[in-house]
Amino acid sequence: MIKTEQLCKRYGSLTVLKDVSTEISKGEIISIIGPSGTGKSTFLRCLNLLEKPSGGSIYINNVDLLAKDTDVPKIRQKTGMVFQSFNLYAHLSVLENLTLGPVKLLGKSKAEANQKSLELLKLVGLAEKAHSFPDELSGGQKQRVAIARCLAMEPEVILFDEPTSALDPTMVSEVLAVIRRLAKAGMTMLVVTHEMEFARNISTRVFYMDEGIIYEEGTPEQIFENPQREKTRAFINRVRSFNYHIDNPNYDLYAMNAEIEAFCEKHLLPPRVCDHILLLVEETLLLQTDFSDISLNLAYFEKTGHLEFRCEAAGEPVNPLAEGVQSDDIGLKLIQSRIEDSQYRYENHKNMLFFKVKSE
Amino acid sequence: MDINEMKKDKATVITIEGRLDSSTSGILEKKLLSLMDTGEKNFLLDFSGMDYISSAGLRVLLMVAKKSKTAKGKVLLSALTDNVKEVFDIAGFTDIFTIFATAEEALKDF
Repeated sequence: MIKTEQLCKRYGSLTVLKDVSTEISKGEIISIIGPSGTGKSTFLRCLNLLEKPSGGSIYINNVDLLAKDTDVPKIRQKTGMVFQSFNLYAHLSVLENLTLGPVKLLGKSKAEANQKSLELLKLVGLAEKAHSFPDELSGGQKQRVAIARCLAMEPEVILFDEPTSALDPTMVSEVLAVIRRLAKAGMTMLVVTHEMEFARNISTRVFYMDEGIIYEEGTPEQIFENPQREKTRAFINRVRSFNYHIDNPNYDLYAMNAEIEAFCEKHLLPPRVCDHILLLVEETLLLQTDFSDISLNLAYFEKTGHLEFRCEAAGEPVNPLAEGVQSDDIGLKLIQSRIEDSQYRYENHKNMLFFKVKSE
Repeated sequence: MDINEMKKDKATVITIEGRLDSSTSGILEKKLLSLMDTGEKNFLLDFSGMDYISSAGLRVLLMVAKKSKTAKGKVLLSALTDNVKEVFDIAGFTDIFTIFATAEEALKDF
């Protein structure tokens, strides 16, 4: 139904969408998640040409949207959009907001448009507000009107751009309930959202966007339970990271420790856990022989509360945890006491050690 | 880390304050070796003011214990803080060293 190929969007030297290639079938419900500024809304806005792509192609039902002879307004009617900020006409009643498009653009009679609009207002639970003005409505009600207005144009797909972000938390559920109802009715939808539970429950597929691409996609189970790529995992698990680089054997242990302590304090890690980390980091460094390029990474998963420590050291392949490599096992014993699990890998000329840190 | 030394009866009492880690263990090692060079062989290492030890510090203790034993002397430890005691337990050092609750008690053992 929708297909994009190498879609990109640049604003001057800033590339917001780098290369988005995907296919979306009829009836699919795609949730688009990811950090702010990673192109989620821009992607949606490109799909109905509110933003003109800088390159690539968009096909809707095999029609090339960017071809010169394409009837863009006609195509745009098929892709309704619901905005974060509702975008209702303040000087028109709720009913008039809904009938304006069908009368002017779809050529419907006023009576026909009125009847259909009232049905739609009933669908979103706002039939009694037909003659109210937008200013008389709550945020949640305004957004439901905006959804009904979108439906009045009989779209084949609806693009939701953070439909609940501007709402008071008490009003989020009423809007999500309407979107759920549309999902059950088989409407094709793309929803940019920060409501993770909603995305998990409603979607057929989830796109995690980062770096201007669909960085990872999968079923809600795949993305939320078992994300494969690093940034997806960090986003899903709300990972806080600490990084430190060492390039000589006379590194400043105390400067590093001070930064680790500040990191622990910032994320409210108990002093005992912080002590564990300091010992683990020092002992890991004591196992190293090549200090020319060592990267340390400490990751705290806010959602689960667990900690991971990674040490990547350039040099010849050697597993410092392997039996017989060290002259004694004192350091290894101390490391073992502070971790739940360890792994070693040699990749890209680097010895990589991964530790799951004991939380207690 | 601060190191203080004091001759008491048959032993030299070394008091360590702060952290005995990869950054400071070399200083302690140097200090102990220079004392041994002057004929000292009995040491009491008092850890009441030491709140952290890593394997780098433990190795220095092991080294001095071995050298002292060869010279027919001994190394005793006193007043381990909880953190340090835990590290000793994990590394198996509580079995290697004789540890006393206080420096006074330890001194009676020389």
